Amino acid sequence: MGVEGKTYPAVTSVIDRERVAAFARAIGADPSEGVPPTFAAVYSLGATAPLLFGDPEAAVDFAKLLHADQEFEWDRHPKPGETVTSQGRVISDISRRGMRFLTFETHTTGEDGSSVCRSRALFVIRS
Amino acid sequence: MKGAQREVTFSTDQIDAYAEASGDHNPIHRDGDFARSVGLPGVIAHGMLQMGILAAVAAEAAGGAGRLRRIYCRFAGMVEPRDTVTFAAEEAGPGKLTLTAVNQRGEPVMTKASAEYL
Repeated sequence: MGVEGKTYPAVTSVIDRERVAAFARAIGADPSEGVPPTFAAVYSLGATAPLLFGDPEAAVDFAKLLHADQEFEWDRHPKPGETVTSQGRVISDISRRGMRFLTFETHTTGEDGSSVCRSRALFVIRS
Repeated sequence: MKGAQREVTFSTDQIDAYAEASGDHNPIHRDGDFARSVGLPGVIAHGMLQMGILAAVAAEAAGGAGRLRRIYCRFAGMVEPRDTVTFAAEEAGPGKLTLTAVNQRGEPVMTKASAEYL
């Protein structure tokens, strides 16, 4: 039901060195260690979730949205300066007891098409 | 491989820095009046900021950020500025870590958290 199965357009982004360094400092990681694993919140989840949130068909009330859980799985971590492509898809869209549960998966690939990361987010929207 | 642990006292500066670096400008993390208008006690830290710190601790236990292959957590509690959270990673078998994040009142802020590494 809802927008279950809906796939959003792929989004291409560059892993920006300065942003990676600022992100590493904000989470207390060593910026010299490369791209922090959860920078996937930017290049994978962050690149694609706005398409879901801005989709009139999905009708997500952002003010009532909770990020309930999150998983990232990596085949490898991207390098600073690399171009990656991320595509988001709604895996499930279930309403139960006045709450809506949206599972949103994003697959990120490198320029050669090889798999980089999968992000799975559960969003709960209170009514 | 040993575990790793880090105690972090959150500040509005750190939350602002994460908002800028991540591009997540949801006003519940920046604007206290807005946060209160949607039923929160005030601004709260991003769940992904909490998870980022947890992943950094997991990476330390795994012997390097490049070795992490999976991380999962459930966001169970709000973290406000001035809260102190203890993030920990413990070995749970070959290539597996059990992760915890507990605030100064002993309440878990993330639950069912785990990671895998190469």
